Amino acid sequence: MALVSLLAQFAPVAPDSPNAEGIRDSWLFVSIFVFAIFVLVEALLIAFVWKYRRQKRGRFEDAAQIHGATNLELAWTAGPVVVLFLIAAFVFIELPGIKDVPDAAAGEEQLEIKVTGRQFYWQYEYPNGVIAIDQLRAPVGVPVRLEVSAPSSDVIHSWWIPALGGKIDAIPGVTNETWFQAESEGTYTGQCAELCGLEHAQMLASVEVMSADEFEGWLESGNEDLGKEEWKGVCTKCHGLNGEGGIARALVGSPVLSDPQALETIVRNGRVTRRGTMPAVGSDWTEEQVDALLDYLTESPPSGS
Amino acid sequence: MAARAEAAVPAWQRGKVASWLVTTDHKRIGILYISTSVVFLVLAGLMALVMRLQLAQANADVIGPERYNELVTIHGTSMVFLVGVPILAGFGNYLVPLMIGASDVAFPRLNALSYWFFLFGGVVLMLSFFADGGAGQAGWTLYPPLSEQQPGNGIDLQILSLHILTASTVAGAINFLVTIHNLRTRGMSWTRMPLLVWSIELYSWLIIAVYPVLSAALTMLLLDRGVSIGPWDVQTDFFNPDSGGSAVLYQHAFWFFGHPEVYIIVLPAFGIISEVLPVFARKPIFGYKAIVASTVAIAFFSMLVWAHHMFTVGLPISLQAWFMIASMVIAVPTGMKIFNWLATLWRGNLSFDTPMLYALGFLSLFVIGGLTGIYLAAFPIDWQVHDSYFVVAHFHYTLLGGVVFAIFAGLFYWWPKMFGRLLDEKLGKWQFWLLFVGFNVAFMPQHFVGLEGMPRRVYTYANESWEGYNLASTIGSYVMGIAILLFAINVLKTRRSGQRVGNDPWQADTLEWYTTSPPPPHNFDEVPYVTSARPLYDLRRRLRVERGEREPV
Repeated sequence: MALVSLLAQFAPVAPDSPNAEGIRDSWLFVSIFVFAIFVLVEALLIAFVWKYRRQKRGRFEDAAQIHGATNLELAWTAGPVVVLFLIAAFVFIELPGIKDVPDAAAGEEQLEIKVTGRQFYWQYEYPNGVIAIDQLRAPVGVPVRLEVSAPSSDVIHSWWIPALGGKIDAIPGVTNETWFQAESEGTYTGQCAELCGLEHAQMLASVEVMSADEFEGWLESGNEDLGKEEWKGVCTKCHGLNGEGGIARALVGSPVLSDPQALETIVRNGRVTRRGTMPAVGSDWTEEQVDALLDYLTESPPSGS
Repeated sequence: MAARAEAAVPAWQRGKVASWLVTTDHKRIGILYISTSVVFLVLAGLMALVMRLQLAQANADVIGPERYNELVTIHGTSMVFLVGVPILAGFGNYLVPLMIGASDVAFPRLNALSYWFFLFGGVVLMLSFFADGGAGQAGWTLYPPLSEQQPGNGIDLQILSLHILTASTVAGAINFLVTIHNLRTRGMSWTRMPLLVWSIELYSWLIIAVYPVLSAALTMLLLDRGVSIGPWDVQTDFFNPDSGGSAVLYQHAFWFFGHPEVYIIVLPAFGIISEVLPVFARKPIFGYKAIVASTVAIAFFSMLVWAHHMFTVGLPISLQAWFMIASMVIAVPTGMKIFNWLATLWRGNLSFDTPMLYALGFLSLFVIGGLTGIYLAAFPIDWQVHDSYFVVAHFHYTLLGGVVFAIFAGLFYWWPKMFGRLLDEKLGKWQFWLLFVGFNVAFMPQHFVGLEGMPRRVYTYANESWEGYNLASTIGSYVMGIAILLFAINVLKTRRSGQRVGNDPWQADTLEWYTTSPPPPHNFDEVPYVTSARPLYDLRRRLRVERGEREPV
């Protein structure tokens, strides 16, 4: 029983989007053959080890001097060819459902979001210019097309929310595309899957799927939390949740936080010091983005604890 | 003549240490290669144990991200370049001339140079920890732009080390090829050559084909980072997207090398298994020619599958489809080998000495690594599991469960040939079971945690439902640590009081067992005419006939 439930876990996480379902179906199809071959090989191995053990024969007594059997060997060459052909065929059948965004033909709207991977946060840009950090919001049931990239001065990241499909790399100078269509409301988590530097492990992403109305409301009113999201997503991963310092220096009481000029300079250019390099986290931020951070920091400066 | 050559050795070179420093004897160089690699195996293994300690619990704070990224980088680089390739070069060095009935490799001095370059390259890599800015933190794959942006000299030293190791490895490969092609003894046609020698042949061809591509990619990377040559500061932008370069271009070049590299390591391990299984089954290998053909096929196709490491960079679907099919094609000859090995056991007279245990362990584990590879080859599935712990589990099943088990099979099997003494069987069996159980406890859970969304190369994780899997991994890794410790104890014990077992304790089939254990510097006083792939089997059989004993059925 425990074995069965463990085996059931040997598959990608429960999908909540058609592309993730297609991947999971392909996985399960491949699993049929993987488990069959696994059981076959290990069973033969154990059976042979048991049956042909030495027992009372002499240590160096010759066993059957069989040099081969052409037909058998052809069989276990052809067998895998057939299995792999079936797998490839199944993958190609599932492929359109995995890679193609469902068309908007059904009168259904499509949402397009720009996803930018940066050291060490995700930035989302909605069609109306609204910007959010790390937490993506999307309406339920609507196909969402993601244009995934990274600024040319950054490094490679990889976008991955397991329940909503496979990953796609965010590569400087390249724009890749992926999509999802969440089937139920809720929050789906994931994180950057390509080593991108010191805080790669903190580069978390989440997708909050809400009702269409709720989403429209949020989108229309603009992201009121932008400043807070920027502080949390962009600054605290290195400087500590309350600015108490982490792999980077503490920010509590730093004059830079309340000096618009200095803040903008360091956010846009980063800084190279003897202790290490601060990436240019906001090299291409809009004025609104910079202001949002400044406003947030003025309202609630980091407490240090 | 050999005796006279030995007498000509100047006195200062005859000392216990000095004789090893100046040696050009392939056997001594082989032993140097193997023992140096084992030291690096221990070092890189210790790095893994530190990382496992950090990952045992969520949000742990044993080491910080900087240290972790250094360890993950140097662990990977060491295991591939300082353990996998050179330890098999060590087996090749020791065994190829003996197995083909030659007195040494074709270029003994070049061979010594290869070894010393290897040691030098390894030392450079280890010392990079002390470089300005610490060791490289961009992974063994050194992907730009990350690798180009790391300040300090860690990455530069990693590149330097790989350049030195490449020179060493390519020189070694040329040496193997010239040796195998020219120095085979009378009667040893290509179809009578031991399968380990065949695998070293293909290992060498692959090295010559793909290592230069690595060198090119690394040189471009180094130039991108900027170098000063005399008065000139050179700084290129091959892989720098900020100036129009392509980061993905590097990945193509790296994996054109990187995938065959896997087979460069795995093929000789296959060769070891093909030597050990028949001896402990008292049978010929099943389907000699099929195994040779599959080795050639694997080597060829391994150069056509590289982009299956790049399914998530956004290649056109048609390219991804090609690389999926090519990757699946390579599964066919690999499957052939597995079935041929199983058939070698069939109707055998099986003894379970330690080498055989390791060979059987190899079979049972390598199958798992091979099968999980099918998921990874199917590119839409790879979009889901790529760069997750599932992949970490997959390649450890092939490289640790596969190659390291084969290496131990080889060490236990040829130890009496190298040193005249048998490694302690009881300790050996304890080591095997600890390693086997520890390995599975460590790496089986990684499949599951990867599927749940844990990416590789993260220094920590916040998700507490991943903790159980990670804790199991950590426990398993320390059990493996104990197993390696037992091996060290075994070596010391055997040195002092190991059982002396004569020239041919396993009644084996290949020429290396025809000479004394350990062999004299010139290897053979005379070599019998080779009449099949099992010259010693033929010889024993003839002796029995001459003595008028009953023919075995």
